[in-house]
Amino acid sequence: MNGDFRTARGGDAPAGPPADGLEPATGVVQPAGRVRRAPAQLADDSKLAIEIRALVERGEMDEARERFGDLVAIHQRRATRIAYQYLRDAADADEAVQDAFVKVFSHITTYREAWPFEVWFTRILINGCLDRRKARGRRDRWFTGDEATGADEARAAAAGPATDPERRLLARERREKIAAAVDRLDGRQRTVFMLCHYGDCTPREVSAMTGLNESTVRVHLFRAARRLRTLLGGKP
Amino acid sequence: MSPRVRHLTEERLFDVYLAERTADPVDPPAAEHLGDCEACTARYTELVSLMDTVRREGEAEADAVFTADRLRAQQQQIARRIALVGRPARILSFPGRIVRRTITVSTSRTAPRWIAAAAAAGLFVGVAVGASYQFRWGLAPSRAGQPFLVSGASTARAARLTPVATRGGGQSDIAADDAFLSDLEIALDGPHTSELRAFDDLTPHVREVRSVR
Repeated sequence: MNGDFRTARGGDAPAGPPADGLEPATGVVQPAGRVRRAPAQLADDSKLAIEIRALVERGEMDEARERFGDLVAIHQRRATRIAYQYLRDAADADEAVQDAFVKVFSHITTYREAWPFEVWFTRILINGCLDRRKARGRRDRWFTGDEATGADEARAAAAGPATDPERRLLARERREKIAAAVDRLDGRQRTVFMLCHYGDCTPREVSAMTGLNESTVRVHLFRAARRLRTLLGGKP
Repeated sequence: MSPRVRHLTEERLFDVYLAERTADPVDPPAAEHLGDCEACTARYTELVSLMDTVRREGEAEADAVFTADRLRAQQQQIARRIALVGRPARILSFPGRIVRRTITVSTSRTAPRWIAAAAAAGLFVGVAVGASYQFRWGLAPSRAGQPFLVSGASTARAARLTPVATRGGGQSDIAADDAFLSDLEIALDGPHTSELRAFDDLTPHVREVRSVR
């Protein structure tokens, strides 16, 4: 299993029931316990996407581009978190997020309000990330280098702003340990876990994104959590 | 004897965790059990701690890499790329300076172009005339006993162009040739030319030719 969900129900556009409301249009990803809207209510980002679609269909491209900037601001932080956790490389994650947004804008006319924009966008993003992982795997088969990569630099930078070198080192080790454990998860488990924990998605949303059954998503999540606990020795 | 306590399974604990995270309603019996059972509460706390730590560390790591400046730069980059969407492909023009120079060069060389054309024409005529002469030269030996230039040519030139084989054209020349070939045969019969014997066998001898005549 490689975690690629494009063939689960076919195409990039996810099918499935519309999930309930998503994060507010503030550009800030809220942690667990966020307030969710009623299922029937269309999220702000979805409304914005529909508006942009209408502008593009009318040929008002400049206005559409301007409005799309707001959509980018809403999902950018969350998208970079997901992409970074997938790819473990800052440059790769940066490009993956850019590509996803550009692809969304290019195909905005195919967006349908039957599913939330977040689901549609995240599916495009994770498929892009999976493609990049595969490409990297193929590349690594031929090239092996000992030099420091972008990932190393990113991990070094990610050690945090702590001034105490010992604390910084400990934090870095802990993060590396967690990242290694997450990376050892099975393809689908990893995808589902990342979407749920870093993408802040509900199992129902993950189900719509991946095309997997919701109960299957829950099983993957549970197994991922159990395996992580084993790998991290109970406490990270 | 107290009744046997059935603890929550790990799956149910995880369901409670997910429900709390997504603000979904928690299964009431599970919630009730968690309120009463210290062991399950401890297990639940451990699970939540682990999951929260994994998420928190992951998010902190990504946020440390993608700072506000980097996100702003990313937004600008996306805006630049999106500005190209829906626009027809742009054809890159050659740099103006090179184009101007090329035009200048081509106009200043209009006159020499005639010279080049004249040179090419001259070369062509030369080659054609040369070929014509060679063709006529090749036909000359087939005209048996005739000089190359027939009428109106000077005697000296006719003598110069007459083929060697027909020069003189008398019986004495034929006799001299026969004598030469006979000498050659005698030489071939010598002891030093045994290596050429095979070639000699392939060659018709003068005497055989003569007998045929």
